[in-house]
Amino acid sequence: MTEILRLKNISRSFDGLKAIDSLDMNIQAGRISAIIGPNGAGKTTLFNLICGYLYPDSGRITYKDKDITMLNPWERASRGIGRLFQDIRVFKKLTLLENLLVTFNDASENPFKAIFGRINRKERDKIEIAMNWIDFVGLADRKESLAENLSWGQQKLLGLARLLCTDFDLLLLDEPVSGVNPDMVRVILEKITESTELGKTIIAVEHDMGAVKEIADYVYFMDSGKIVASGVPKDIFDNHEIMESYMGLDNVA
Amino acid sequence: MNYLLHILIMISIYTILSISLNLPVGYTGLLSLAQAAFYGIGAYAVALFMMQAGINFFVGVVLAVVLSAVLSVFVSYPSIRLKGDYFILASLAFQIIVFTILYNWIDLTRGPYGIPGIPRPELFGIVFDSLPKFFALSGAMAMGVLLVAKRLYSSPFGLVLKAIREDELSAISIGKNVRRFKVLAFAINGGLAAVAGALYAVYVTYIDPTSFTLDESIFILSIVMVGGSGNLRGPVIGTLLMILLPEGLRFLGIPDSVAPNVRQIIYALVLILLMRFRPQGLAGEYRLD
Repeated sequence: MTEILRLKNISRSFDGLKAIDSLDMNIQAGRISAIIGPNGAGKTTLFNLICGYLYPDSGRITYKDKDITMLNPWERASRGIGRLFQDIRVFKKLTLLENLLVTFNDASENPFKAIFGRINRKERDKIEIAMNWIDFVGLADRKESLAENLSWGQQKLLGLARLLCTDFDLLLLDEPVSGVNPDMVRVILEKITESTELGKTIIAVEHDMGAVKEIADYVYFMDSGKIVASGVPKDIFDNHEIMESYMGLDNVA
Repeated sequence: MNYLLHILIMISIYTILSISLNLPVGYTGLLSLAQAAFYGIGAYAVALFMMQAGINFFVGVVLAVVLSAVLSVFVSYPSIRLKGDYFILASLAFQIIVFTILYNWIDLTRGPYGIPGIPRPELFGIVFDSLPKFFALSGAMAMGVLLVAKRLYSSPFGLVLKAIREDELSAISIGKNVRRFKVLAFAINGGLAAVAGALYAVYVTYIDPTSFTLDESIFILSIVMVGGSGNLRGPVIGTLLMILLPEGLRFLGIPDSVAPNVRQIIYALVLILLMRFRPQGLAGEYRLD
């Protein structure tokens, strides 16, 4: 298996408090890695470091063997690192179709092309690609609705479709099934699994242990800014010491 | 008839100003108080190109558009990475700097004396010297700007701007260089506003800095807010209302002694009522919070 993302000795402090502490992580392409751990363990900070919303105090991040440590967020995204935010952040006043059409980063976004150019066939191809992804998450009949009219769970699906439409290879999902009803959880997990079959690599932060057990190929257990254990889900969930510390801490929080 | 044509010409000039301002305001969420500065840059640039360099009006317009667009980058590039409110401040600063330069660079602009005797535009031997001809010119240019705006709004570029307005972080997360798009939107706004300035200069044939003050910028921004931003209809409706309302109030038969004051009061009242009951503007899609 090839490695797609490597974090080497990453540290990041806030006001002297180490949120991420000398963390190493190697993500293998094509599988679903889940990051679990108590609140405040640094999971979201880790995502922000990978996406470039935060920079590490020390350490290096490489993506597909290229150093991306100092790249800003849109540059990382355009290299293929996508993110689904916990609060999804769909473009509310755009239709579903527009939410996906806007993901194509190409020359048609040049304003001079827009003013002087001809509307070409490529636009139709884009609509077809976008429709495929809307169809993939089962929202085809809503393509012309505004995104704000979707239910929370449907918005999560739209967020996933938008991410898939980007052509990015590495997708970071921040609590993809939080706040979603059980039926919808099933659909979302199914779509995430199918995404890896289409060649995507997924890293998910998730509190729903059932969901993690079901879809993760590999699990990282984080606490106090470090990865304290990692392995296939069975090893992690059978490790009573870890599970007890997790449940205990989680109950306190 | 002349009065009517004059109003129509002013409507076409302000349509250009509001349509262009709609791009940063309604499509990108950037409030600008510098519209009169770009309006003034266009007016002075065209006047000086025609009078000092003997350049044809239409070539001068193109040059003025480029100049104004380039100058807009001085506002947008340093300030856009800051959060919204700072952009307004930067645009305000730019407005004041431009006014100050127009007022004090006497060698170039003649300062408060203004520039009189700006020649009429000419194309293939046709001189646009009468009101009907001038209306044809200004109407055609306003239509041109509307067409450009329409194409921009419905293009992938316009869609990205809308996405940025909806959620900047999300736009970044799908790989959009948000800063670049904002700078471009603001440059297009500056360029198009210069077209209005050029028209104004050759229409009144005399310009001085008092036509391009902060008050004027606020007036243009209020057109966009009253009409509603985020589509083409809003700024057009806003322009019609804001130009026609004060003109219409002339015909109310208010005694001359109090007329100007009463008109101002009615005008202000209409604006306040609009903001209270229709904060997204008469035809707007986007509500400025």
